[in-house]
Amino acid sequence: MTDLLRVRDLSTRFFTEEGQINAVENVSFTVEAGSVLGVVGESGSGKSVTGLSLIDLVESPGKITSGEVWYNNADLAERVEGDRPEAVDGDFVDLRRLSEAERRSLRGSAFSMIFQDPMSSFNPSITVGEQIAEAAEVQRRASANPRSTRSRTQGYGLGRMLLDGALPDRSYTSEESWDRAVELLERVGIPDPAERAEEYPHQFSGGMLQRAMIAQALAGDPDLLVADEPTTALDVTIQAQILDLLADLQETMEMSVVLITHNLGVIARVADRVSVMYAGEVVERGTLTDVFDRPVHPYTKGLLGSVPDIDRPGERLEPIAGNVPDLVDANMPDRCYFADRCPKAMTDCLTRLPEYEVSDSHRARCVLAEREYSEADAVPAERLARPTDGGATGDDGSTASDESAAPDAEVSDD
Amino acid sequence: MALGRFLLKRGIQGVLVVWGVVTAVFLLRFITPGDPVTFVAPLDASAELRAQIAAELGLDQPLYVQYADYVVGLLQGDMGYSYLRGTEASTIVFARVPATVELAVAATVVAVVIAIPLGVISATRRREPADYGATLFSLVGISTPNFWLGIMLILVLSVNFGLFPTSRRPIGFFETFAFLVTVENGLAVPMDVGAFLDGMRTWLWHIALPAVTLGTYFTALITRLTRSGMIEELGQPYVRAARAKGLPESLIQYKHALQNTLIPIVTVLGLQLGTLIGGAVITEAVFSWPGLGTLVIDSINVRDWPLIQGSLIVIGTGFVLINIFVDALYAYLNPRVVH
Amino acid sequence: MSHGRLSNDRGGLRGIVRGGSGGESPVISPRTLRNLRSELSRSLLAKFGIAILAVILFTAVFAPLLAPHDPTDQNLDNANVPPLGFTATENQTTSETVDGEVQIVEEEVVVNTTAEHPLGTDSLGRDVLSRTMFGARTSLLVGLFGTAIAVVLGVTVGITAGYYGGRVDDALMRFADVMLAFPSLVLAIALIGLWGQASLRIPDPLVAFGIASAEMPEDIVLPGTVIVVVALVNWVWFARVARGEALSVRDQEYVKAARSMGGSDLHVILRHVLPNSLTPILVLATIQIAAIILLESSLSFLGFSGAQLSWGFDIAQGRQYLSSSWWIATVPGLAIVAAVVGINLIGDWLRDALDPGIEGQGGAP
Repeated sequence: MTDLLRVRDLSTRFFTEEGQINAVENVSFTVEAGSVLGVVGESGSGKSVTGLSLIDLVESPGKITSGEVWYNNADLAERVEGDRPEAVDGDFVDLRRLSEAERRSLRGSAFSMIFQDPMSSFNPSITVGEQIAEAAEVQRRASANPRSTRSRTQGYGLGRMLLDGALPDRSYTSEESWDRAVELLERVGIPDPAERAEEYPHQFSGGMLQRAMIAQALAGDPDLLVADEPTTALDVTIQAQILDLLADLQETMEMSVVLITHNLGVIARVADRVSVMYAGEVVERGTLTDVFDRPVHPYTKGLLGSVPDIDRPGERLEPIAGNVPDLVDANMPDRCYFADRCPKAMTDCLTRLPEYEVSDSHRARCVLAEREYSEADAVPAERLARPTDGGATGDDGSTASDESAAPDAEVSDD
Repeated sequence: MALGRFLLKRGIQGVLVVWGVVTAVFLLRFITPGDPVTFVAPLDASAELRAQIAAELGLDQPLYVQYADYVVGLLQGDMGYSYLRGTEASTIVFARVPATVELAVAATVVAVVIAIPLGVISATRRREPADYGATLFSLVGISTPNFWLGIMLILVLSVNFGLFPTSRRPIGFFETFAFLVTVENGLAVPMDVGAFLDGMRTWLWHIALPAVTLGTYFTALITRLTRSGMIEELGQPYVRAARAKGLPESLIQYKHALQNTLIPIVTVLGLQLGTLIGGAVITEAVFSWPGLGTLVIDSINVRDWPLIQGSLIVIGTGFVLINIFVDALYAYLNPRVVH
Repeated sequence: MSHGRLSNDRGGLRGIVRGGSGGESPVISPRTLRNLRSELSRSLLAKFGIAILAVILFTAVFAPLLAPHDPTDQNLDNANVPPLGFTATENQTTSETVDGEVQIVEEEVVVNTTAEHPLGTDSLGRDVLSRTMFGARTSLLVGLFGTAIAVVLGVTVGITAGYYGGRVDDALMRFADVMLAFPSLVLAIALIGLWGQASLRIPDPLVAFGIASAEMPEDIVLPGTVIVVVALVNWVWFARVARGEALSVRDQEYVKAARSMGGSDLHVILRHVLPNSLTPILVLATIQIAAIILLESSLSFLGFSGAQLSWGFDIAQGRQYLSSSWWIATVPGLAIVAAVVGINLIGDWLRDALDPGIEGQGGAP
């Protein structure tokens, strides 16, 4: 299988009043063409920001500060080679070294994204069909004039807006793109697509709207679809339908999917490869079997241990004690970020650790990949900021951080 | 709920409000100290003459009869006779309407045309000089009393530089069209286009300063609301989703974010209509603009009750009508209201 | 007729009234104070606003001590003196007898500035600076008292309507709509113009106790009708906000609990409903003080307030001498702008720090 995307040492930081927040830190992973990569982690682990960073949608005060995102696209490589040879390696192009306009032109056509809450991800005062047609129209205009990134903005500005009386309901789109929108709605299984296209988002159910968002994301025939918690806001039964739809589309349209979720069941159901994120880092990655059946990192083990197993109903679940660190740069310890919560912390863990190779396809940021745990090397408790017994205790012993550290996993063997 | 039914409901509510205004205006006379006869009768009038005048004005009837007479009269377009001028109050009042409407519309146009682009620019170029300029302008704009602004404009532009006339409205907007066509022997004859353009220029010349004076507060207010609304909308998830599908930024700003920004702005403007009309009154006073505002002030000074009541009712009715229009605009902008 | 569209369910500017501000809270919680302080330290504009208002308040309170002249003292020999640093000329008509015939001579005379009148004098030779300082008293008195009465009236009506709901609520809110159907300035003109202008004279303690010069005006004039009228035309805003808060608090669990435990309505209102309404009322009141100051100046400008020592009144006086003595109308106008800018900045600060969910109303003439 060829690689579609190789992400190397990607870091994204947020510069806030509370200080610098390292939301994504030196993350590396690979997305193979036509496969599903699952990115799993608790809230605050940086998984959503990773997704946004892939398609360059990190907004102020956030910023991608370093790293490379190599995208396999021979046409693009050929086009870029003349101006910026350093950004090209064979068929791969480093998106980080492209201009802003070039990167923007890849949105929708090379990459697109769907979001957690379909209701707020659609403009409430424009019809669903119109919004999907816009996505199609952008690509139509771009392919009519592929060299010019300006072509897609042509004919729309303040003057046009004022002329349209501030309500250009269908002024940007064309008949052609509207037809395409209806076709896409049909493709994602929405009944009566022509009529539904004329409706507003609030007239759709959550599940239907999520389908419509998928249709919108498919408008430009992207190579990669980033799906950020696509099922979290939905009912359990609808969740399964949406996952089936995604898997079906991924296969028939031969695209790759990066599926971001906190739900291990979702990952187990559709992912080919898995990256586990903790505190902005990928702590373990590999094939689904590597990670689920042979986890190395104690955090991964902890995550899996906190999922109810239908085969062993009576067993007690083991939540991981403590909380995800707050990711503020100044508060981050100069050691393995998980050490304070790790049941197997050793003296080696008091330094920052590299990724260790477990097997060809399997990496883990943990010394246990190299050696067995030994009591003799265990870190004395006073050198760690151990969470107190009885589960989680935040810095101030109160506030919202009291949730169990376990991701709220759900059984998905339905 | 269909748009038609929505408007019908608003219309019925509007009629009730107008009725309330009529009643309040009618009662106003009875809670006001002073006998209207005093203002009409000669100073040395005898008791009989005073009684006669009171009977002529219908003031000797019981209150409910006067009220019924008044309401019935109003329904027939009769507001009574002006105490001092002796002519029909409705004629005087309606003759003043065009000047006020022109002023209010011109001010609104000035405000919307300047404020919305300014607010958008301010929101999309935050912490840049344009944003600081717009913020400063809107802060000072909402804090400046418009009568003083009018006086300062007169001082600088009329008195010092002689660029604009200081007052009066020599010609109405629609009167200028009379230059275009005239009727001779039952035939419409096209007339002097030059005279029409001259008339237009005169009209524009005279309304410019009053319109800016009245419009500045609204320009400042809408700029402020557009800026904060755009900043909020541009942070919404749907904007990120629009970016993810590759839409150009100008389309996201003007088509997506601005439309949703306009919805609450329309609400606030609806609530500011009273301010617009009140502002028109005082702007008229500064520029001797012959509208309803100056009529109200003059009539109150001489206690010409039919004129006071008539113009207050017309102002209140105008307010209700604009309010219904604003509601319709709101429903049009925000599909969730009617669907 | 407009509260149907007042709540904008997707946030945005949120219309006028937002749902409950949460649970039972002390009147000013430490968190509120923290927000106020952090917002203040962040915002230069807020500090600026507080500084302006402090200066104006100080001037208003100690006007008899600070003002160089009696603001009502006329001196026709010293009329239309321009501010320091400016020059002005005046046409003077004199007659003189030359060879037994009376000749009328018109000449342009340069009027000299004097350090005695740093901001010049008006057409009656009264000191513009002193008048502007005393004018601050009228504006602030009307602004503060007018707002206070409007708050009491509006909050009482609003909470009653919101808390009891039903017919009372409907009737009161319909009435409020009719009130809103009238532009406040027009209504104020009508009420004052027809009712006349009563004012209250209170002896100025600074003069009475001999702290300030005895030449200063003995009384502070409290324009009573104006205060009542501006309150009457502005209370509706407070009623709306208070009603919204009362409505949302009424259905909170802890309020239901308090009622079910036999708490009297008055107790529940004072203990739970009122404290919850305080934040939005405070922010609204700040904005309304600014609006009322503008309203008062408009009324004075039109000659309806009866105030003889007011910024609006002075602007109306100066308007007649615009071509020769621009400063008479300009200086008091700048004072109004400064005062209103200062209060608006404080209003912005409170709104950003307390986030009561109200926006954009107030209404200046």
